[in-house]
Amino acid sequence: MLRLRALAFERPTSVQDLTERLTQQGDAARLLAGGTDLMPNLKLGTVQAATLLSLSALPSLSGIRRVEAAPLGSHDAATPQQALELGAATTLDVIANHPLVQRELPALAAAVARIASPQIRNRATLAGNLCVDTRCRYINQSELFRVALGGCLKSHGSECHVVPGGQNCVAALSCDTAPVLIALDAVLALTGGADGDRTLPLADFYNTDGLSHTNLRRGEVIVAVRVPVQRPDVLVTYRKWARRHSIDFPLVSVALRLETETHGETTRLTGGQLVVGALGPRPRIVQLKAFVGRDLDATLATALGALAVKRCRPLPNLPYDETYRRRRLGVETQRAVMALIVMGPAALPARHGA
Amino acid sequence: MDNRDVETTPGRPLPPRAPAEVAQTSLLRFVLNGEPVIVASPAHWSLLEVLRYQLRLTGTKQGCDKGDCGACTVLLDGRPINSCLLLALEVEGRAVQTVEGLGVGGTPHALQRSFDRAGAAQCGFCTPGMLMSAEALLEGKRARGDTTIDTAEIAEALSGNLCRCTGYTKILSAVADAWRATS
Amino acid sequence: MSAAPPYTHVGGDHAKLDAADRLTGVAAFADDLTLPRMLHAKILRSPHAHARIVTIDVSRAEALPGVLATVLGAEMPATYGVIPWTPDEQALATDKVRYVGDALAAVAAVDEETATAALALIDVVYEVLPALCDPRAAMANQDVLIHEQNRHGNVSKRVKLAFGDVDEALASGVHRISGHYEYPGSTHAALEPHCALAHVESNGLLTIWSATQVPHYLHRELSRVLGLPTWKVRVIQPPVGGAFGGKSEPFDLEFVVAKLAQKTGRPVKCLYTREEVFLAHRGRHPFSMDYELALDAEGHILAVDGHTVLDGGAYSSFGLVTTYYSGQLLCSPYTFGTYRFQSTRVYTNKPACGPKRGHGSVQPRFAIEVQLDKGAALLGIDPIALRRRNLLGADSRTVNGFHVGSNGFAECLDQVELHSGWRTRRGKLPYGRGLGVAGSTYISGTNYCIYPTDLPQAAVQICLDRSGRVRLFTGASDIGQGSNTTLAVIAAEHLGVELEDVRVVAADTDLCPVDLGAYSSRQTLMAGNACVMAASKLAKEVRKAVAEAWGCSAKLVTLASRRAQRIDDPATFMSIQDAFQLAEVAIGTLGSVGHYQTPREGVHSDYRGGTIGASPAYSFSAHVAEVEVDTDTGDVTVLRVWAAHDCGRALSPVLVEGQIEGSVYMGVAEAVMEHHYVMPTGLNGDGNPRNSGPGVAGLLAASSLLDYPIPTTLDTPEIHAIIVEAPDPRGPFGAKEAGEGPLHPAIPAVANAVFDAIGIRIDALPITPEKVLAALDAQAAAAADRHGGRAHA
Repeated sequence: MLRLRALAFERPTSVQDLTERLTQQGDAARLLAGGTDLMPNLKLGTVQAATLLSLSALPSLSGIRRVEAAPLGSHDAATPQQALELGAATTLDVIANHPLVQRELPALAAAVARIASPQIRNRATLAGNLCVDTRCRYINQSELFRVALGGCLKSHGSECHVVPGGQNCVAALSCDTAPVLIALDAVLALTGGADGDRTLPLADFYNTDGLSHTNLRRGEVIVAVRVPVQRPDVLVTYRKWARRHSIDFPLVSVALRLETETHGETTRLTGGQLVVGALGPRPRIVQLKAFVGRDLDATLATALGALAVKRCRPLPNLPYDETYRRRRLGVETQRAVMALIVMGPAALPARHGA
Repeated sequence: MDNRDVETTPGRPLPPRAPAEVAQTSLLRFVLNGEPVIVASPAHWSLLEVLRYQLRLTGTKQGCDKGDCGACTVLLDGRPINSCLLLALEVEGRAVQTVEGLGVGGTPHALQRSFDRAGAAQCGFCTPGMLMSAEALLEGKRARGDTTIDTAEIAEALSGNLCRCTGYTKILSAVADAWRATS
Repeated sequence: MSAAPPYTHVGGDHAKLDAADRLTGVAAFADDLTLPRMLHAKILRSPHAHARIVTIDVSRAEALPGVLATVLGAEMPATYGVIPWTPDEQALATDKVRYVGDALAAVAAVDEETATAALALIDVVYEVLPALCDPRAAMANQDVLIHEQNRHGNVSKRVKLAFGDVDEALASGVHRISGHYEYPGSTHAALEPHCALAHVESNGLLTIWSATQVPHYLHRELSRVLGLPTWKVRVIQPPVGGAFGGKSEPFDLEFVVAKLAQKTGRPVKCLYTREEVFLAHRGRHPFSMDYELALDAEGHILAVDGHTVLDGGAYSSFGLVTTYYSGQLLCSPYTFGTYRFQSTRVYTNKPACGPKRGHGSVQPRFAIEVQLDKGAALLGIDPIALRRRNLLGADSRTVNGFHVGSNGFAECLDQVELHSGWRTRRGKLPYGRGLGVAGSTYISGTNYCIYPTDLPQAAVQICLDRSGRVRLFTGASDIGQGSNTTLAVIAAEHLGVELEDVRVVAADTDLCPVDLGAYSSRQTLMAGNACVMAASKLAKEVRKAVAEAWGCSAKLVTLASRRAQRIDDPATFMSIQDAFQLAEVAIGTLGSVGHYQTPREGVHSDYRGGTIGASPAYSFSAHVAEVEVDTDTGDVTVLRVWAAHDCGRALSPVLVEGQIEGSVYMGVAEAVMEHHYVMPTGLNGDGNPRNSGPGVAGLLAASSLLDYPIPTTLDTPEIHAIIVEAPDPRGPFGAKEAGEGPLHPAIPAVANAVFDAIGIRIDALPITPEKVLAALDAQAAAAADRHGGRAHA
């Protein structure tokens, strides 16, 4: 059996304790939440850690509650907004099945329900998913493979096999929650960094360095994710494609946000965005400003599908043909639009009543 | 690694693996199949390793090393999890159930009976994990007061457990049989 | 279906004999075994696809605390191979490594972590050689030889056989169909990784527990490579967690634990990582196939002409047999007027290929069944009708000389036609939905052992206990398919006991008579016949003793349901226990032996190679698959498969259904999903080997159960298993095989259904979304050409 290297296990008893240890130990320490991404990476040796800092004694990091949040992100509403606050260590299974999430953020519940497998969703956490390490066909491999390959930027070499001559690791963002949460205008509550507590729109959380693709600072941890409850005329959905219907990481990953207004029989676009994962280390956010005023119809769906293909170019980093993935991204985007049209603002009376 | 073919294998050497003797070991207390257990666990051992190689409960199987197959599925406080991805020390104070804990006093569990009758176990290697996922499904349904079951929800509940022998056909029907036999 | 004879157990609704142990976690698989003072072994594997070993230095590894011993190839240099004509492997490589993952040293340490750490301290100097990963390039290359001693360059085996005047028949065909087909290679992916444990007793007796499906062949090779007489080696097969052909020859770990146990005097275990399972492979060969088919105006098959290149990987494995099977197993269930094939197996610097469920014939079966489907389309007739026109029939002879006994293929076609609603639904489903049919046949064991011998292929010993219990000793290998149960059914049927009264002791070379193992679908027919012989001898003695007590003819005594009973007077009976005791009084301790030797007359023809692929009896299968194709994404969803299989007689119907269902599952996965992909060779512009960078030679792209996608519950079609029984006089109670045959039609049935759904042919497996879209694009372009008169771009 593939064994872990020897390491130390510590169980901080407060968030402050946790962040202090993280600050002290730096890269030698890793935060252990569900472990469903970290453990395989440690076993394969793509990640090293001298110490694992377990969250198991920090129940305050789990839970889902309704909060009134100051508006953040792209919205301009002046009134306080309803939001759900999801504890960083809340498991994916809890999120997918939570009545509040299912009612207020159905796109999130649906996206989370398609992550990995039931067993993994029972352990994996929300922040853990947001921090899932970037993936690449040349790095998520055994030690034998990586030695035989001569390493890569992310393993122990100096060459990128995806972009010949590239100096920047382009391993792909491979979590399912980031695109949909960005489309939902989620904001992270962070603590433990040099500046103390801060909030950060999830859209600003990622960078383009596949070796270290989050903007977490030394010692900093995610405490919670605040997700505004959407106005009824804001429609969000997420689509994922993988080879199998369970277990797999996404090969195509796209969230769509359509802001709309309805007059009589017609619904028009007032704004929105595409958020595409599984490209490089950072999700690609494509604003839909150019489509404002367009009717929500099949023509728009086709146009947004084409937009996705035009603006996003999957790389040969994930283990599936990149040309196909690009085309599929277009189809999935188009279908996302059609799904939202079918769903439609009028089809959400529960939301109106809320 | 560094002495191996240095002229043609570029890159820094991979970090060396240390022998296990330097490992931190802690006393771990948890409830296993209803009984309290105290065991010395190396910090880097998974629950699967402690179950199989320390406690000699070898009913829980290992198939893929890293959470891809579900053969090592056990219940942690009633929820199915991959025991190969869970550090043993994480179960401190919690309840773990393995295939050895199914059935009472020598009487097979309804799922074991239905799997047997249906021929749902061929080689039997995925079976313990499959049984635990199925048990969590049925217990969860009972807790929610569900009165019916359908194949789609069984398939969904077992979608993290790979089987290479059966094509799942008899497994899905055995789970439905067990549900009907006990509700 | 005709009324079944009145059997007590045969055909009964019984569970597997040993399932309960597997359901409660009691069954001890290889890695569940632990011995006192046991050490753990790990194996060093080559990071080069092709390299000469200049030096290996284990001194740093041996100095690591906790390391007890190391072993190198030089300590057991004998070459071996499961096929004795092609011994080209060593337990650990001594001179060269031939694929990324080839084994060259091993360490025994106090635990797995220490052994793993020690591997990194073994210093190896390699001289890197160009790697050949493309079979056609390897065939053409005379300068780089993977096996220098091979007489035919990089060609591992070539077979050319012709039956009748193929050229003339091709010329006379009204319809000619040419097709090129690609099968990409797939692997078994049994859930249990290979594992072996060795222990040397103080008297020198070596015992190996191994997750193998061929204890006998392992026994032979261990004794040869270790230089021990066979009586000093004992192989025990514990319960095996799936095999599918992936555990049907010796592997490096078995030699390694044996040698390290000898060197340390302590038990040594080695458990493969999942990656090592993928590297050990011996999976289904990549085939590149060209077929020419000639039909007459009515659709009769006049000629089949096939050219196949097999990508063998680094070693021979069963490759000699695979090469024959690739052509020899194709001549049924249809009558070929004439037939010719040329198959060439080539060495490449990749994990070695070997037998996977449906060894050698799954790939050509895909090709020929699609060829027939194309023929039916050309003729404008129903694909099932075309197949019916070419039925070989029962008690017949194939064009290549095999005798076919019972043949339920026509009924298989009838059954799937009926259950799938073929007549009312095919061709009438909306665009994107389709039905496809395919048929096949498979052997029930091979007529000859893989090494030359006149000894029996299978044997069973049975002892009757005065408690009414039956002890059955067999070398047969239960790998989950249920051979222990099958044998118990046969014994219980003859001896009048219940299944639970039969204790089966199997696959222990010290305790059990030799059986060749679980491969080529041989256990039911061969071990089953041996069991019939042993059990019926004893039943005769028991009935005779009872008859004497009752003063009647032995013909009037029947044994069933734990009783001996008078047929003419059911009120006269005694317990089976009393009956056994009467027999024991009469003739002493009750034991008997049975064996099975294949028939040698009339089974096959006498040409060179004509014995390979010959079997005492053949199973038949027909499938109809229903698919849905998403023409925007290219997704092919296999919705349902109806699979009818003629197994002769279903001794245990639940087990037969399980074999059909599992076969369909595996076949569908190969049709749409699985690919054991080795990255192609990398040679720089200057012709020097490229050892890093994209496309580095010989790297296995998917070596985990994440990256190699085997279907989950949500990716598996609804499977309807239909048992057809055409009892064969050569099978026990008429039984034939069920474990491998039903895989074959699944792949072409899916491919043909895709054609029915959207009018395109994907002749290179697997049928992935990007291939479907590319074909749809080409179809649209062609249509635009036709209608718009647009010039070719």
